[in-house]
Amino acid sequence: MTNEKYYDIVVIGAGAIGTSVAYHLAKEGYKTALLERGDIASGSSSHCDAVAVICDKLPGLDTKMGQASIDYFGKLAKEFDYDFEYTPKGCLYVCETEPEFAAASKYCEAQQKDGYKMRMIDSRELSEMEPHISKDLYGALYTPPESSVAVNPYRLCFAFTYEAEKFGLEKYTYCKITKINLNDKTNAVESLETNYGTIHTKRIVNCAGAWAPFVGKLTGLSIPIEPRKGTNLVSEQTPRLCNNKIMEYGYMMSKFDSINFKRKVSKLVEDQNIAFNLEYTNSNNLLVGGNRLFRGYDIRTEIETVKAICERAMRFFPELANIKCIRTYSGVRPFVKDHLPIVSDVDSIPGYYIAAGHEGDGICLSPITGKFMAEIVAGRPTDFDISKLDFKRFA
Amino acid sequence: MSEALADDMLVCRCEEVTVGDIKKAIRDGARDVVGVKRRTRAGMGLCQGRTCEKLVQQIISKELGVPASETGTSSVRPPVRPVTFGELAKGDVEDD
Repeated sequence: MTNEKYYDIVVIGAGAIGTSVAYHLAKEGYKTALLERGDIASGSSSHCDAVAVICDKLPGLDTKMGQASIDYFGKLAKEFDYDFEYTPKGCLYVCETEPEFAAASKYCEAQQKDGYKMRMIDSRELSEMEPHISKDLYGALYTPPESSVAVNPYRLCFAFTYEAEKFGLEKYTYCKITKINLNDKTNAVESLETNYGTIHTKRIVNCAGAWAPFVGKLTGLSIPIEPRKGTNLVSEQTPRLCNNKIMEYGYMMSKFDSINFKRKVSKLVEDQNIAFNLEYTNSNNLLVGGNRLFRGYDIRTEIETVKAICERAMRFFPELANIKCIRTYSGVRPFVKDHLPIVSDVDSIPGYYIAAGHEGDGICLSPITGKFMAEIVAGRPTDFDISKLDFKRFA
Repeated sequence: MSEALADDMLVCRCEEVTVGDIKKAIRDGARDVVGVKRRTRAGMGLCQGRTCEKLVQQIISKELGVPASETGTSSVRPPVRPVTFGELAKGDVEDD
């Protein structure tokens, strides 16, 4: 028996993006293989938080994709047998000061103009919605559950894989790709050499997230994605400390350098680039975050980061001081300078596609990215113009 | 050892995960402690696998026919025991 395998398309990377892409391609009728160097969801998608919201996105394409994906989550939750813990949940972007509130109001107006349901609430309404939050906050930007949901990120990857297998997806975990062979004349994709033998295919999709550049290198492709580290803390199971997903408006700063905004925080919080966020999970634990730092691929927890997150978190929820932390974790997010993912084909290599670089939006944009990629591969127009996500922009 | 373990026996007491749940996770593709953890929540509770990790390793070892030493461990992460956010912020734990 020969060890050689034939597929219409091969997806590389089994995180939130790769598993969604694989699901949509298999459903489209392509004979699809999913290759992953470790286990399903062993990279960023199991080292992140659980939220999909539009209020952390810039007005325009970013928000439009976010909302389309959030809507799609609801549909998938109904269709799938595998439960990925889809939970509609409001989101509060809390503003410490009047200037933050003013900036958030401007952002809110822009989103309202585009038809999204968000509104500013004052400190009194904030305390009613969140009885445990500090009383001295100025107000908040509220996003209702229709634009803000929670999912379990690694269960989402298992769900896409499980559902894709119903359409014939074949998965190869703990798979090492040693070589990607291109045609001598046309430069088109021909096959991959792996520890499972040669896999023949005319199309591959690089969904390796923060590791996409390594897959790119196999064919001499330079993919400008960098690993950006984030850290979260897990509490013991507690009575409900918050009702909504809570973030501080300063989070925008750590995400988009372009919004130049100065908070009154300690040097430690500033140096660690902390942006407070809090959510309550289906298992009754709290997830407390977070920050963004460039540390290469090192995902060890840093104690200074932990201290800074705790300090910042207690400013918003003082009762945390007496709640126990049982674990901390860090992971890398696939960072792209212009804060937009790459979702397109690659001109120089026929049959080569990329869906990667979603930074902290990979979970949120997972369903819509998979749908778009299946449309691109099938040669159909996508639901709306995503030419801004084309790999060409780095040429 | 796991010969004697009934499928309904609790392995992870914090998250109430049984031998049967773990065997199913292994059939679904888990090859190590972390893979079992993500599929079942074994080791995600208050004790962070201190009680069940050895047992999970032995079940994987038995099911996959690999030495227990090759079934991995949960990633080592602070804190080593539950401490309050208040104590963590100070970087100091007060004695009771």
